[in-house]
Parts: sequence; structure tokens; C-alpha cells
Amino acid sequence: MKPGLLSSLLRTFVVQAAWNHERMIGVGVAHAMEPLLRDLPGGRGGEAYASALERAGQFFNAHPYLAGAAVGAVARAEHEGVAPEQVRRLRGALAGPLGSVGDKLVWAGALPVASGVGLTVAAAVSPTVGAVAFLVLYNLAHLALRTWSLTAGWRWGTSIARALSAPGVQWSMRVAGPLAGLAVGVAIPVVSAWLVEELHPGARLGVAIVAAAAVVVARWLAPAFGGVRFGIAVLVLTLVLGLVWR
Amino acid sequence: MTDVTPLLLLWGTLVGVDLVSVSQIMIARPVVAGTVAGLILGDPMAGGTVGVILELFALDMLPVGASRYPDYGLGAVAAAATAAGAPGVLGTGVAVLVGLVIAALGGSAMQWVRRANGADVSRSLPALAAGQRRALAALQVRGILRDAGRAFVLTALGLVLAALAARWPLVGLRGAVMLTVVAVGAALGIAAAGAMRLAGRGFDLRWFVLGLLAGAGWVALP
Repeated sequence: MKPGLLSSLLRTFVVQAAWNHERMIGVGVAHAMEPLLRDLPGGRGGEAYASALERAGQFFNAHPYLAGAAVGAVARAEHEGVAPEQVRRLRGALAGPLGSVGDKLVWAGALPVASGVGLTVAAAVSPTVGAVAFLVLYNLAHLALRTWSLTAGWRWGTSIARALSAPGVQWSMRVAGPLAGLAVGVAIPVVSAWLVEELHPGARLGVAIVAAAAVVVARWLAPAFGGVRFGIAVLVLTLVLGLVWR
Repeated sequence: MTDVTPLLLLWGTLVGVDLVSVSQIMIARPVVAGTVAGLILGDPMAGGTVGVILELFALDMLPVGASRYPDYGLGAVAAAATAAGAPGVLGTGVAVLVGLVIAALGGSAMQWVRRANGADVSRSLPALAAGQRRALAALQVRGILRDAGRAFVLTALGLVLAALAARWPLVGLRGAVMLTVVAVGAALGIAAAGAMRLAGRGFDLRWFVLGLLAGAGWVALP
């Protein structure tokens, strides 16, 4: 195994620590790449190391779990002596695909799948078991993706695009959406039945009416009036009603 | 609650930094954050219930990098502290309101952290241009500390709101039930609307409808 790869992998867990609007995750990417650059000609005190680290800290954005692919690929390119301008182009070319693949695989895939399963198990068994089910399921995908992306980046270097178009990645992207839809779809009726269990029939009807109104308002006004604002608005209104109608 | 306050503050801080800065193993999801806070408070069912309700709210939005999203994990810790010990469903509605307020504040405070990180990077430009690894590490550490400070302060604020809600209940029995009905209804509606909105971004609406039918069938089974 390439020396520094494990240290680099651990550092990808804090790749967003210094997230800012100017460089986004650039600082975190450079921090994660640093262990892989130590054995460049001249070592830590060398010009190659310092200039590679300077390039690595420039603006960069990608999905945090797939940022490792950029870390590995760019570090490999630096070791192979690729020209600085080409390294910059490689970074620029990777940002979009790593963001969109990650969003599809994780935020619109693994996260809603694990959330749906966790919610269903919480309602059907217990919230504690639901939370454990969520964490285990989600992190199996999470840890696999972080490890794969860094090792693939290092292995493929400037040809990392080939790893992203591998059949396994494409298949995962195809099944992530349907699985997410299915998991959240199953969870909603199961959780609603569990949440209204202790309410009398009139209150259950109230839940159904508020839910229908929430769907209409959220579909009509989102994203300007998202879930949290809608929730606060209707609950404050209800609180005022409750104060008046004691 | 006083004897477990330090533990709740620690848990809230861990939950807060997990959202973006450190690890993202998703202890920041409300179903986890609320349940664990409930376990700490000795009332896992109350914590789990508000965690599940806030998880439904959280399905409204994808936590995509630069977007602004509420910090539902911190909200779930505050909500669990509010709901713990309340009889039946009576504490749920007020707890969800406290949780949503803290979640919204947490999301806004994240913008402050991001701006402060940006200013920090600007101050470190000469060191970054020289490729100094210590400058990178220092920026990372200060970023984590800022985020931990944000999470700690908001957890403390959530616990204060929870204590106030327990000491001075604003509504009677009828009002408490009404709040719970509205909280549950709003959460279910927001989750369904969020799922529909995700269609076209990888999320498949046909499979969502199939899931709804399967879930409804499961519920209808004797």
C-alpha cells in the first residue's frame, strides 16, 4: 500500500472542516493530500512538495465522500510529474462529476434509503433499533465509498474518469433512486400509523388535514418556504390558538 | 435534567460537528440524535418520537454542499430534552416547535462559521501560497473549533428553552394535543412533498408510490 494512504483516508473525514465560500473544500483537500505528497522529490522541504500543496489548496468542490478520488488522482499526477497547468485542469474537470455522482449516490440515494429503513424500523420495532439500523446501513455505504474513492483516485491517477464510469458505479447510480423512493414510500404510512396510535379519531383526522395542507403548501411555495419555516409557522399559530382557547 | 446536562452538551456538540465538519457518519440525523438524547435523559421513547418527527421534516431537503439547510440534529437534541418526562403525546408538539427553532438557528449559524472560515483563509493567504502544511492544519483545527462552538452554544440554548417549556407550560391539555396533531401532520406532509420534489434528481417517483402502497398494505394487515 502507498505510504500515507491510510493517513490521507482518515483526513478525508474532515475534508469540510474549513469549508468556506471562497475555496469551498480546497483547504480540506490539500490537508488530506499532504501525506501522499511527502515522498515527492526533495521531501517535505522540497520545492515540488510546497508547490503541489499550494495547488492542492486552491478552490475545489465535490461531494465530501468522493473528494478522495480527487485527492488520490491529483497526488498521483504530482508524483508522475504532470505539468502544473494540467494538474489544475484535472482538478477543474473532476469537481463537477464527483459532485453530481456523489449527490445521486449519497444525498438522493443512500441517505433517503437508510432514513426510510431507519424510520420504518423505529416505528415497527423501537426508535433505538431504528437509529442503529440507520447508522449501520448508511455507514456501510459511506465508508465503502470513501475508501473506494481514495484508492481508485491513487490507482487511476489522471485516468480517474474511467473508474467513475465503471459498471459498478453506473449500476449503483441506477438503483439508488428507485431504492430511495421505495424506502421513503414504505416509511411514510408505517410511521404515520405509529405516530397517531395514541390519538383519538378526531385528532387523527386533524393530522390527515394538516398533512394534506403541508403537501400543497410545500409543493407550491418550496424552496422559499421550506419544511422548517412551514413547521415553525403552523406550530406558532397553533400555540397562539392554544393560548387563547385554554 | 441537571445531572445529565454536561452529557447532553457533549452529545449536542458531537452531533453539531458531524453535520459538516467532522466525519459525517450521520449521528446528526434527528432519528439518531433524538433517540440518543432520549437515552441520556432516561426517556428513549420520547426522544425517539421527536427524532422520528424531525427526521420526516429533514427528508424535505438534500444536504448538498453549499446549500443552506437547517441543523435538525441539534434541533432533535433540544426537542428530546423538551419532550422527556412529559406524559404521553402531550410534550411532543411543543418539543417539535423547540426543535425546529433550534434547527433553523443552527442552519443560520452555519453561515457565520463559513464566513469566519473564509476570513481565516484570507488571513492565511501568504502561508497557503508558500505551501505550508502547518497553515493548512491550523485552518482545519480552527474550522472545527468554530463549528464545535456553534454546536455547543445552540445545544445550551435548546436546553434552556426545554427547561423554560417544562417550568412554564404555555398551553393547557387541549392546546398540547393540538400542537402534537399539527406537528405530526406537518412532518408527514413535508416528508411526502420532499419525496415528490426529489423526483428527477435520481429519486424515483414510481417507486415512491409503490412504496406508499406497500407501506399502507403493511399497516392494514391485522
